[in-house]
Amino acid sequence: MPLTRRQALASAGAAALASGLAKPAIAANEPIRVGYLPALTGPSSSTGIGINRGIQLAVQEINAAGGINGRQLELITRDTQSEPTKAVNGAAELTHGEKVSVVFGPVNSGESLAVVPLLARAKVPQVHPCWVDTLTDPKKYPMCFRNAPTNQQIGAAANRYVVEVLKRKKVAVISDTTGYGTASVNAYVPMLKTMKADVVYQGNVDAANPDLRPELLRMQSAGAEAIMPWSVNAGFLSRIINTRGQMGWDVPIVGQTTLGSGQTKALLEKPEYWAKVYPNNFRPVCYAAGGKLTERTNEFLGRLKSAKIDMGDTLLWWIALGYDSPRLIAQAMKAVGTEPDKIVGYLNQLKGFPGVYGDISFTPDQHDGYPDEQVVMVEANSLKDGAFNLAPGYGA
Amino acid sequence: MVESIVLSGVAIGCIYALIGVTYNVMFSASRVFSFTAGTLGMLGGVLGSLFIAQWGMPVVVGFLLALAAGALFGIVTEIVAVRPVLRSLDQHLYVLSTLALALMVQQFTAIEWGTESRPFPRLLDLERSAFDQQFWLPMAACIVAIIGLDLFHRHTLVGRAFLAIAEDTFAARALGLPERSLRMASFALAGAIGALAGFAGGEMLLAFFGNAPMLTFYGFVPVALGGMGNNRGAVVAGLLLGLFQQAANFLVGGIFASVAVFTVFILVLLARPEGLAGATLQRRV
Repeated sequence: MPLTRRQALASAGAAALASGLAKPAIAANEPIRVGYLPALTGPSSSTGIGINRGIQLAVQEINAAGGINGRQLELITRDTQSEPTKAVNGAAELTHGEKVSVVFGPVNSGESLAVVPLLARAKVPQVHPCWVDTLTDPKKYPMCFRNAPTNQQIGAAANRYVVEVLKRKKVAVISDTTGYGTASVNAYVPMLKTMKADVVYQGNVDAANPDLRPELLRMQSAGAEAIMPWSVNAGFLSRIINTRGQMGWDVPIVGQTTLGSGQTKALLEKPEYWAKVYPNNFRPVCYAAGGKLTERTNEFLGRLKSAKIDMGDTLLWWIALGYDSPRLIAQAMKAVGTEPDKIVGYLNQLKGFPGVYGDISFTPDQHDGYPDEQVVMVEANSLKDGAFNLAPGYGA
Repeated sequence: MVESIVLSGVAIGCIYALIGVTYNVMFSASRVFSFTAGTLGMLGGVLGSLFIAQWGMPVVVGFLLALAAGALFGIVTEIVAVRPVLRSLDQHLYVLSTLALALMVQQFTAIEWGTESRPFPRLLDLERSAFDQQFWLPMAACIVAIIGLDLFHRHTLVGRAFLAIAEDTFAARALGLPERSLRMASFALAGAIGALAGFAGGEMLLAFFGNAPMLTFYGFVPVALGGMGNNRGAVVAGLLLGLFQQAANFLVGGIFASVAVFTVFILVLLARPEGLAGATLQRRV
């Protein structure tokens, strides 16, 4: 019997209706798809690789414990290759092709700047750990949350340490000429001034400038009592540290996390030049006096050890941040399901999520979830098993 | 302060001068300004660090290999970016082709080597002092390269052939000189000089992919000021540039130092478009 067009349409409609009706029954068991946009390759991949170790462990643990209300968590990963364009492609694929419920990432600000507006338009809830201040905005991006500090918090912590803990009032603030560097100086200098500090030197210098002695001499003659460099360029930072050492100038250097990185260490002329260098870090993943970690962090280290996760070539806070992120998302889904609006509603009321990396809280008007007081400074030369000692003066 | 300006100013000036000479050697043989000169300097530093610090080769072997790699890159530049555009020299397509090659190599280095500066090994096992090897090595490299080039041009047959090609390509070819081979040889020589600049200045500049555009810009200044193809002019202008830049670093500092350098550069070119030491070229019309 030949099939008429009307019959064909009718049967197609019936099939569509049947599949539509059957869907909830299948969906109850099928895995929950979580989009994940790490930079696993490319120039900014060291952070992504560290975070990834934590993420994978958390997802394994969640699934081994029965998943989310009986459904397994499935990570749909798209490597951004440290490139904003690839991150945008990955985000489009995750939202339109893969239909994920939530996206975690990207993990670098450059990529997030491109991806955040895109996910906001697609109305997909997003959690990311990027520091650039404008990457959350409850009005423009109501579904986007940050489970890490902002640049403001990072700068404020360094400023507090210099002015309130070290009691240094005359400060030199220097950066490279990148967007990050100049924006940081422009943001942090007014903050220092409101704290009644005297910014005796302020400058942006090309990161490829081989000789920073002129700049440091100018700081010294202006009477600077602390140097605050803002740059992610290890070459630039090491030149500041080396020049201070050559001059035999005894001032603390307080600033960006890269001051404590292995790349910076490799460029130092003498290991002892690394003393009195204090980069940013995060209190829950730092050794307090006597080399002690919190109970929560110690328990986490035990898990890392039993899962045989390598810590020697990465930083504890990256792994901890990665570990917390899927658990935060899973907690929301366990409570309210996978509907985007419900997840956002839950996160908007989140109070004190007990992460290893930090206690995260959000409100409808505040999507920056990391607490100010957990951003601290540490001793650069104290790195052991991926974690640092708190800088002197913080007390117990 | 004056001592510090002179020391690092002369050292960095010598690196600029050597990059200027690299431009000149390529220019003399082909009438092409190859913007791969700064890339060669960057490669000298990165390869030196790779061979000696990372692969553990002896300093001498690493040095010779870095120079050889520079020479090889010079030859590749000639084949890939210069030869195809020589016929239409007046259209200045070489600006695009050499710049494209330079950018490709720079990006490749960023991907493979990384975007962070990495340490360059200490070449000689000497105590650090005020007049450290990181300052005098570039000076020594510059002196050796200039004297070597001078002797080569004046006292060897190949060197004279180089000069002949530089003077008048058509006449030289009419006399039976193998123009193409000589051009390739001069690009190889330029490659080795560029790599020498980066290698000798490695400890100052570190092994960093971002040195390529910096050296391309600052290395061009001595060429423009000293007169195109004029090596002695390039050395004098390079030294002046280094000293002026360091003095500006001390006096105005930060990004304003670069502004000062380029302001003076533009003013000098406005006053003397042919460069400080250059002669006005006659052009057939």
